[in-house]
Amino acid sequence: MSVTLVHPGNENVPQAAAPPARLESLAGKKIGLLDISKPGGSFFLDRLEKILRERHGVAEVIRARKPTFAKTAPPQVIEQLRGMDAVVEGLAD
Amino acid sequence: MQQTQTAIAIPGYRPGKKALLVFFETDCPTCQLALPYFNGLAGDSLQVIALSQDDEARTQQFVKQMRITYPVELDRGLTLSRSYDPQSVPTSFLLDENGAVMRLLVGFDKAGLNDLAAVVGHSPIAPQDDGAPAWKPGCSSRHLEPQGDGASPEDSSAPLLRRVGEPATRIELKGDVDPVEFCFWQFGDALPVVPPTTERVAAILKACALSPESVVARVPPCYGEATVEKIAANAVMAGCRPEMMRVLVPLVRAVCDERFNAHGVQATTHFAAPLVIINGPVRQELGFWSRQNVFSNVARANSTLGRALQLILLNMGGARPDGIDMSALGNPGKFASCIAENEEENPWEPFQVDRGLRREQSALSLFAAEPPRGVSEHSAQRGETVLRAICQALSTVWSYRMCMRNEAVVVLCPEHVKTVHRDGFSKQQVRQFLFENTGIPLRYYASQDGGEGTQLVAHYREIKIQGEPCYQKFSSANAIHIVVAGGTAGKFSAVLGSWSTGPAGSQMVTYPIPEK
Repeated sequence: MSVTLVHPGNENVPQAAAPPARLESLAGKKIGLLDISKPGGSFFLDRLEKILRERHGVAEVIRARKPTFAKTAPPQVIEQLRGMDAVVEGLAD
Repeated sequence: MQQTQTAIAIPGYRPGKKALLVFFETDCPTCQLALPYFNGLAGDSLQVIALSQDDEARTQQFVKQMRITYPVELDRGLTLSRSYDPQSVPTSFLLDENGAVMRLLVGFDKAGLNDLAAVVGHSPIAPQDDGAPAWKPGCSSRHLEPQGDGASPEDSSAPLLRRVGEPATRIELKGDVDPVEFCFWQFGDALPVVPPTTERVAAILKACALSPESVVARVPPCYGEATVEKIAANAVMAGCRPEMMRVLVPLVRAVCDERFNAHGVQATTHFAAPLVIINGPVRQELGFWSRQNVFSNVARANSTLGRALQLILLNMGGARPDGIDMSALGNPGKFASCIAENEEENPWEPFQVDRGLRREQSALSLFAAEPPRGVSEHSAQRGETVLRAICQALSTVWSYRMCMRNEAVVVLCPEHVKTVHRDGFSKQQVRQFLFENTGIPLRYYASQDGGEGTQLVAHYREIKIQGEPCYQKFSSANAIHIVVAGGTAGKFSAVLGSWSTGPAGSQMVTYPIPEK
């Protein structure tokens, strides 16, 4: 005998977007660094910024910071990173 | 503010007499709190007309449950809402004899309610000591939602805000598939579940006045639409009785309340899991247990409600423990974590009164909690000694040298309560004592070893506890929540630490549970 069930899950699961093509080189690129405001995040990203500028010749580094790591980034933070060639989201603890 | 809206007819309105138009939504907790107060205002000098932004069935249910005695009309197509343009609900417009707006009252505001009463020559209608908060903001008015009922078609591309979802898909299982095994793998919590057959789900929906496709909330972090039907299907899987929908619907709203921040709670590496605390007459009506083994597998109501919440978080929210939920060690409370307050052994006001509701109002509160840590104190002769033992457990919340950032629920067992109450402590005095006597000795910071909490001492407050210089553990007495629960034998209380708190973390939320 067959049984009919009511689907108890989320049926509108968002499809994962395909990642953009990998950058051939960082030279001359605009790179965003997003600090999620975990303790120590700024140390990690400071070091990363230095490496990006000194060793990879990036054209520009934009630093953005979430107000709290416990919530998603508000639109104004995302807006700061618009137009970047790549963004690094930095964790720490 | 518009001064007159004479072009659109207000149902039931009679010109020549002052009128109060109260715009509301049935599922707004502030509307549920505020509208009964207007019962006392309608009379010879004032006509009170409430205008519902919801459909007839929900409005009728609201009127019955909230015992509204003045006329309630439907704002069909939200025409009047668009005309008067309240930014949030509840909003009340006081009209003079000619229909011109004299004044506005926004949200729930006791002082504003009493001012309004005075304007129409009435005595105050909102006593300061009735357990309700002095002020509570409302919800966004339906006509401002991009896809509110009756919204313009060009707004209909915003699926996140629709109020009516799709019917759930039916899954046909052939005879050779065991439904229990199928659900165990597809939708379970690593324990067997009751298969949500169409018959079982229909039986639960019958006990619920809401339409099956109504969207109650969107469950973080994947924001699945929790329709009434989906909630019912998960309730079946958890083993809930049909009448539990009365609690489960407001509980889903509460867990998706932005202040609770389920997005963070469900994804954090910390231990946090939602702890449900039940108060009021619903405890007896649905069999919630508040006595011995209150945190354990003692009562169907506690266990199935807690489990249904967790299944909804897994199946609708998508934070599975082998995926988005990144908790380093997890928490046994993620199977189910629901306690009821033992109000019968509580000599003070019950917990929902601390949270701004009336004593007779059934309520649920939600706290992002660590597992309970026990406090044994069997030898204390005095209440103060009991409380000092609890202070030691409180001092370890989050991490022993971290101060000012966390909160805690203290679950006092009846025997400890008896001793503390006998020594003359009010609940506020208990909270104050725990606040003033929980601290971390400064000598623990002397080694400058860089451990957690030591970098933040510039933000800490220095106090003395029994002569010892300490940093005060909590930012205020309000960070400590007192609940009475457990059996009458055994001097064991418990402390449950929080996750990150405040607007940047998770805040405790309390929702009223509608009457039967």
